Amino acid sequence: MQAAIERIGETSIRTARSFYETLAFSSLVFFKLFDRKSFNSAMRMVLVNQIYFTSVQVLPLFIAVSILFGSPIVGITLQILKHFGLADRMGSVLMGFVVTELSPFMTVLLIALRSSSAINAEIAVMKVNRELKTLDVFRIDVLDYLFLPRIINGILSIVCLSSLFSILALASGAVFSRYLLDMSFDDYTTLLFLSADFSDLFILLVKCIFLGFFITLIPIRFGLRATHELTSIPISVLNGMVKVFIAIVIIEVISLLLRFI
Amino acid sequence: MRLFPGEESLEPALRKLVAQCGEGLGLVAADVPLISNLDILGNLALIKQYREDLPKHNAESLVLSYLRRFDLERIAYRRNPALTAEERFCAMLVRAVLVPEACVVIDRPLKILPDLQNNRFFHDTLMKVADSWSSCVIIDYPWNRERYENIPVADDEF
Repeated sequence: MQAAIERIGETSIRTARSFYETLAFSSLVFFKLFDRKSFNSAMRMVLVNQIYFTSVQVLPLFIAVSILFGSPIVGITLQILKHFGLADRMGSVLMGFVVTELSPFMTVLLIALRSSSAINAEIAVMKVNRELKTLDVFRIDVLDYLFLPRIINGILSIVCLSSLFSILALASGAVFSRYLLDMSFDDYTTLLFLSADFSDLFILLVKCIFLGFFITLIPIRFGLRATHELTSIPISVLNGMVKVFIAIVIIEVISLLLRFI
Repeated sequence: MRLFPGEESLEPALRKLVAQCGEGLGLVAADVPLISNLDILGNLALIKQYREDLPKHNAESLVLSYLRRFDLERIAYRRNPALTAEERFCAMLVRAVLVPEACVVIDRPLKILPDLQNNRFFHDTLMKVADSWSSCVIIDYPWNRERYENIPVADDEF
């Protein structure tokens, strides 16, 4: 019994410490974001490369996923609304469900699977290869050179790709509303604009920023936890990706609670 | 060049040298590798881009001019694993001299070049960038002395 309580205590302390360390690291990175000295030539180059790898290279896959997944969901939603005689609520359903919930969730899922895992592995490999030591020896701040570009890119990617997903889903909504509800394009756009709630869009933007921030910051932190042994790389990636998943769930839940308060 | 009878005396001396060099440290050592996801040009330009905020184009031009001294322009777009040991050493040396007011410390270079046959290699290589550092020291063990032809050994107490 005592051993069980000790185990629970140890786990709680470890979790609380990890949570505290993540927040401390986040605040460090947050303040660096506003330091002009961080934005030197090397950092800007990495940022451009990261944006290309995360947001541009993924575009064909992302557009295909957005259309293949977004269109049926919008189509089914409109069909159900029509079936229950709720066609007049279409605007608020599309804005409230597709734009503010589905778009960021699908985007963050794809970016986390593709980029967060890559970032986690990359940082862990650099740690194992002692390349982080190299940067330290040559007085290159890893926070400026490695971490900030990835985190800024994470935020930009989630915001931009979420918007793209929303646009594609809403465009397919226009097609479906034309055939299912016999609604003109002008009526459809007017309905969407009337249904757009500024506070929802603001929460969406803040949510995207937080998602982008944490799905890049957490893999970096767990990448840094790798030791100098090769076997620590998969462990670091595994732990990092589980924590990324938990962070996504927590941010989603908080944003849902905020919207309905 | 400074020679130490064993690791237990070499390591503290290396730490002391590193501390003395401070911001100007340009360390060439097997455990300070090139960044594997950058090509050689990127690895070397990084020092100037980060430390002096030099635009990428200017930093790369400077790096190419250094590689030209070694007749190694061909390695500019290669990555670390694709280099021979000699090419790797030269790239690491250029990286070290690119540090502003470079205080170059070469830690047991035979760890980077274990199969070196030419005993004049270090002297000849260092002479090609002799105008670019403020100081340069090689540290190693006495039993490797003959591998450093023409390089004088400092006999002062360190």
